[in-house]
Amino acid sequence: MNRRFELGLPVLSFLLTGIGLLAVYSAGGSVHLIRQLLFLPVAVACATVAFLTPRRLLYGIAEWLYAFSLLLLILVLFVGTGPGSNRWFAFGPLLFQPSELAKLATAILLAKVLSIRRDVTLSFRDLAVPVAIALAPALLIMAEPDLSTASVFAVLLSAMLYWRGLRPLYLLLLFMPVISFAAGFSLITWIPFFVLLAIIVFVRLRVLRALSALAVSLIFGLLSPVVLSMLKEYQRERIRSFFAPWFDPHGLSWNAIQSQIAIGSGRILGKGLFHGTQKRLGFLPNRHTDFIFSVIGEETGLVGSLILLGLFAALVHRILRIGRFCRDQFGTLLCIGFATIIAYQVFTNVGMLLGILPITGISLPFVSYGGSSLVLNFTLVGLTLNVAVRPE
Amino acid sequence: MADKLTRIGQTVLLLFAILGLRLTQLQVVRGERYARLSDRNRIRRILLPAPRGRIFDRNGILIADSRPSFTVTVIPTELPDSALPVLAGLLAIQPDDLKRQLEPVARVPGPVPLRRDVDLTTVARIEENNFRLPGVLIRVDPVRNYPKGWRYCHVVGHLGEISEEELKADSSYRRLDYVGRAGIEARYEKRLRGRDGYQYAEVDARGRAIGPLPEKRPEPAVPGCDLHLTLDDRLQNLASRLVAGYERAAVVGMEIRTGAILCLVSQPGFDPNIFISPIDAATWDAIVSNPSKPFYNRAVTSTYPPGSTLKPIVALAALRQRLVSPRTTLDPCVGKVRYGNRDFKCWSVHGRVNLLEAIAQSCNVYFYQLGLRLGLDSLTAYCRSVGLGARTGIDLPAEGEGNIPDRRWLDVRYGKGKWTSGVVLNFAIGQGEITVTPLQLCLAYAAIAGDGVCGHPHIVARIDSAGRTVPRSAYPVRELKLDQNDLKQVRLAMTRVVEHGTGRAARLGEITIAGKTGTAQNPPRPDHAWFVGYAPADAPEVVFAVIVENAGHGGTVAAPIVAKLVRAWSAARAGIDTSEPASESLFGQPATESLSSSRSRQP
Repeated sequence: MNRRFELGLPVLSFLLTGIGLLAVYSAGGSVHLIRQLLFLPVAVACATVAFLTPRRLLYGIAEWLYAFSLLLLILVLFVGTGPGSNRWFAFGPLLFQPSELAKLATAILLAKVLSIRRDVTLSFRDLAVPVAIALAPALLIMAEPDLSTASVFAVLLSAMLYWRGLRPLYLLLLFMPVISFAAGFSLITWIPFFVLLAIIVFVRLRVLRALSALAVSLIFGLLSPVVLSMLKEYQRERIRSFFAPWFDPHGLSWNAIQSQIAIGSGRILGKGLFHGTQKRLGFLPNRHTDFIFSVIGEETGLVGSLILLGLFAALVHRILRIGRFCRDQFGTLLCIGFATIIAYQVFTNVGMLLGILPITGISLPFVSYGGSSLVLNFTLVGLTLNVAVRPE
Repeated sequence: MADKLTRIGQTVLLLFAILGLRLTQLQVVRGERYARLSDRNRIRRILLPAPRGRIFDRNGILIADSRPSFTVTVIPTELPDSALPVLAGLLAIQPDDLKRQLEPVARVPGPVPLRRDVDLTTVARIEENNFRLPGVLIRVDPVRNYPKGWRYCHVVGHLGEISEEELKADSSYRRLDYVGRAGIEARYEKRLRGRDGYQYAEVDARGRAIGPLPEKRPEPAVPGCDLHLTLDDRLQNLASRLVAGYERAAVVGMEIRTGAILCLVSQPGFDPNIFISPIDAATWDAIVSNPSKPFYNRAVTSTYPPGSTLKPIVALAALRQRLVSPRTTLDPCVGKVRYGNRDFKCWSVHGRVNLLEAIAQSCNVYFYQLGLRLGLDSLTAYCRSVGLGARTGIDLPAEGEGNIPDRRWLDVRYGKGKWTSGVVLNFAIGQGEITVTPLQLCLAYAAIAGDGVCGHPHIVARIDSAGRTVPRSAYPVRELKLDQNDLKQVRLAMTRVVEHGTGRAARLGEITIAGKTGTAQNPPRPDHAWFVGYAPADAPEVVFAVIVENAGHGGTVAAPIVAKLVRAWSAARAGIDTSEPASESLFGQPATESLSSSRSRQP
């Protein structure tokens, strides 16, 4: 199994990209198709570089890469563009999203830091550094503001910490303050969360610890109404839709319904490639980017959608398998990080279009239109292949 | 170790399985329904238009409300080109015009309003032909209705269709929406407008709603706020009728203590209802080409020379400077006075008069001399200090500023040293470049009548949202530092104006009016007739300012109008006294009390 070039990975990546190109053409027309095609060679080149780079070198420059990505994230806050946010650097018609680079750099640095730690527990000594590494880019991206992309870092950190021995219960406790704060904007979300938390901690922890955990949760939960009351009405609306998009009664849910109608109307076999009607009438917003899966669901039906999900599952599975057979912790952690990034993005993107998750701004890896994302995903694959052939 | 990796893999698999299950639910279980919904997109967002807030007078008499009307709407993506001539024929417009109208909205998926307030015959014909008109829907919308017609056209204003620029500036408006264009309707647009709601429905192939969409709860419309004005319909009605016979005129009536405007009329007017239905070209041309500019609110926008109505203010300025006493006589009036190489005329020969008689008889010669003693700077400064030549801040748009020409202004207008000190003679009798709005003059008199204190002028007394009063800060009180004794003397003079002076036509038996006439020269056209008066003279409560353009003498034309308004005001106050003794008074305080106090209080 080892020392073998995993042919499956590039094949899957190209398959997914091909499907993406067809869907982008169907949704956005030839202009977007050509732009996306132009990015493909760049993406493949980056993948090749990533594949050929000695892992020791990567290990050595991890901090520098991370620092560079943070710098870009700070810079983009001042000179960035984007609809209602500062997400992109614009070079003429080309847009570069520094948060994509940050995902990669953070995954690499976390892998490096955690590869020398074993049996991580819920302690300041074990967690301070990894949490800080994930938190810095997450906070900068939240400031753009782009909460959904920031959440990728939380999941990435969780998966890696879990791998290094942190129990799921402690993971929950680690993220509890944030969840409590976000849920606290409405009693409807906060009460179930608090009850659930109470049950879990009392079953699994000693009474004193359980009580202190609940106390912390209560404090953070009470914090959000206090923060809300200090703000003006329009600011409140923004905060609410920022932390709790499912709370927004107007606006976004209309898009969610249109997306569900598009997907649902595709039925089992779909309306046929390029024959979707929802997208033609302009009911679907951002059809070629975040809503691309709606077009696929409408035009290729259940069969096409499941095939696409299957391809993603296979990709994630292969990456994880490479991680399993890698002998060094750095490589394994890299694979876990990459698999998590891809799986989480697929789940949140498709989930929101299916109406089971709030509408956020996460794109579908390989498939959505967008150069930075394509380059990043190919680089991830290149690095994974690197791990596969050189299990140092 | 590998165990944990398997767990991660299993978690991913579980999440993907959830997606797969949901996909199956949407595409297989509900697939047929969604396919139906997506077929020509049979799901529709239906507008629930918010009714515009109503407007009432101070006694709850309805001034503006909404009535249902038919709107023809079109879903451009569903209207075939072949239906265009049919629709154009039914709406009696050219097919090309219709095409042009639909072009900018061609890709809008929802129904777009095409024609508002369509008559029943047209609606019936469209319904008959609806099999030939896919995508054409009739909707019932609330539209503005002014049951009082012309009477409030300036103060309440009117609506107009939104312009392309306004649409771009505020995305919450839609094409063909109406917005306030003048008066209260414009000033309180945000309050009156409310917020449109939406309902989500599944519609049949002809676009008719067959049921609500369970996935989306309706967002109900929020009706606009109701406005309760300070205006009194009886006075507004009377004022409109009194000036209806003149070409151009303006009337303002105000409560001194509160600043509540009781009536505000500008002549000529127009019927504000005509802007709601598609307006016919002839009516529009008649309004726009009328040289009297019916859209102009003369009471707050137009500026006029105040004429002799300025004299009490000039007298106060002189008294403050201690240049004269009320009994001081100056050089006798021989019908004119020579200054420089010019004769300045008086309208009569008054002989030797003191300040009080000079006001009562409106002697120009006395005031020419007073103006010279005062000097330009003191005169203009005092005029400014009582609020002339500055916007009052009333809650109406397009308020005029007027002009109090001081040294700087004259230097700019004529050049440094190119004007003579003789201008002050003209200014002292309110002629020349000195101009004010009727509202400003009304307010200045309110301050004189109210011992230097009067309310801030306003039209909206109360804003109700969904039956509850919207709390807002009280209107400020205007307080001028005026010498009480000087005021008493000038008020005495103004009582004499009506008793035996130029304003005898304003005399009433039951209630004493005090005031000042004015005849503002307007060469080459006839003079403007002014009268500004307050009542009761010994304990003033209301002020009325009336100007009738090109009508001649203020004493003969404007004074009787004020007298009739004061009589109506007094009757209205007394009327409420008997009919609604327990209820809240019309004029701010219990009417019985105000009547008795006005009798007992001595000036």
